Amino acid sequence: MEDFYIPASAMSPEIDFRFSNNVLNIRGESYPENAAAFYGQILSQLALYLASAGSKKIEVNVALRYFNSSSTKILLRLFEMLNDAVSAGNDVTLNWYHDEEDDTILEFGEDLHSDYELLHFNPIAIPEA
Amino acid sequence: MLTQKRVFAPPSRIRPGVIPTAQDILIETPVASPLQTNLEIQQLFSENPQLVGLPVIEDDSAIGLINRNIFMDSISRPFHKEIFGKKSCIAFMDKTPLIVDRRTSIQELSFMVVNAGKKALSDGFIIVDEGRYVGMGMGHELVRMVSDMQAQKNHIVMESIAYASVIQKSYLRSSREDMNAVLKDHFMHWEPRDIVGGDYYYFSKYEDGFFAAIMDCSGHGVPGAFMTLIMASTLDHLLTREKGKDPAEMLSLMNRTVKVSLGQVSQKVEAITGEPVEEEEARSDDGMDAAFLWFDMAKGKMTYAGARMPVFVSGEEDIVIHEGKKKGVGYADTAMDYEWENREIQLQSGDCVYVTTDGIIDQIGGKRNIALGKRQFSEIIRASRQLPMTAQRESIMEAFCQYQGNHSRRDDITIFGFRV
Repeated sequence: MEDFYIPASAMSPEIDFRFSNNVLNIRGESYPENAAAFYGQILSQLALYLASAGSKKIEVNVALRYFNSSSTKILLRLFEMLNDAVSAGNDVTLNWYHDEEDDTILEFGEDLHSDYELLHFNPIAIPEA
Repeated sequence: MLTQKRVFAPPSRIRPGVIPTAQDILIETPVASPLQTNLEIQQLFSENPQLVGLPVIEDDSAIGLINRNIFMDSISRPFHKEIFGKKSCIAFMDKTPLIVDRRTSIQELSFMVVNAGKKALSDGFIIVDEGRYVGMGMGHELVRMVSDMQAQKNHIVMESIAYASVIQKSYLRSSREDMNAVLKDHFMHWEPRDIVGGDYYYFSKYEDGFFAAIMDCSGHGVPGAFMTLIMASTLDHLLTREKGKDPAEMLSLMNRTVKVSLGQVSQKVEAITGEPVEEEEARSDDGMDAAFLWFDMAKGKMTYAGARMPVFVSGEEDIVIHEGKKKGVGYADTAMDYEWENREIQLQSGDCVYVTTDGIIDQIGGKRNIALGKRQFSEIIRASRQLPMTAQRESIMEAFCQYQGNHSRRDDITIFGFRV
């Protein structure tokens, strides 16, 4: 399956799905005008990839600084899909990047951890540059 | 708003109700005939310093366009005047200028000009009426027309949103009146990001207490505002004094009612991935985060139920953050029978209570370009605790704006604060 890439814009994150290496990266901010429209293709690509995956070691890197409520809803679906992928026999590590002082993003990650227990949750604090 | 109105004032060149066409930027210019010599053309250009392009017309139709600069350059080369001076002016003319019908819409015309390359913008283009030459159009006039049209469209959209804002605000009036009647020391800062928005509040007084709701509906701008009116009118319809005393039950009731009315009973992934879902219309997945409060005046006790929206209680000693449940109200993935929880909070005289939407907490800014966060928000409210609430509002917003710095506002913001 071909890799999937969408560059970042001011209101939407960079999507860098390297299906060939089983590495999925999401980076930036997410508050597009129509979150369902923005994420529609992303979720279907992911669904397609996961449908073909069976016993893969998948690495997911998420470095999001901001996401609005409607993006949150869709991101939760994305993590749910990944969680389901573990039930289907894959191994998924979620590297959750956050600024070391950003308690908002860290807290969201911890909630994810308790909601999607099958993911190996790995919070990574980024120190001040 | 006022400045925007002035900036976007509709230009008079666009006639109301009429789609602008090439005709609207048509200018009459001198023309040449192929029988004229290059010397005569040189004379024409000298006499008309404004003339950029000179159409060449034969039997009423345009056969080319002479560009001033190209022509003047060519004719002034050594011996060119002697060789070409008495020859037909078609020698230096562009034989394939852009030719458009006068009925061509400005929008279509602008695409044609862009596709024709640089020369149509700089030399201009020829306007015809069923093939017959009628005049010229110039690039800068076209650009001006396009920006006027853009400005007019903006103006119409802004006017429409400004009026939507009047409606959205008017529905807050009775809440504000009740709030002012019951609360001596309080503030309500309600600031939609785009004139209208998805943040809203609702307040209702009773003889023994009051019910307050701060809501952050999905979306912002116009779609967010639609949601606020659905939520507020549903709340208005369902709320009674007895129900108001049980905020958790009010949230559940709102959840059930909104899910049914928006058809968000169940939803498959296909619905948001954009793939067609069998025999189903496009469904929304909308709802709200909210904090519902009942305040018992005799006991000084507050009952709080939250859906992804905490309440901050600032006491003599410290600030306590009470968190609600993690599910929003009405969304497709919140179960029909989902139940929220009431939390009884005994307040002391002088305690300050704050409820804020995530627009404040999640705003990006500061030295590290990260969200403000609950901890820093707590610091901000602690710093102004001694002030009267109206002064606190100013001080909190000042600190917030300072944190935001030159970052853009990410969301609508609302803060409600009152002192017991």
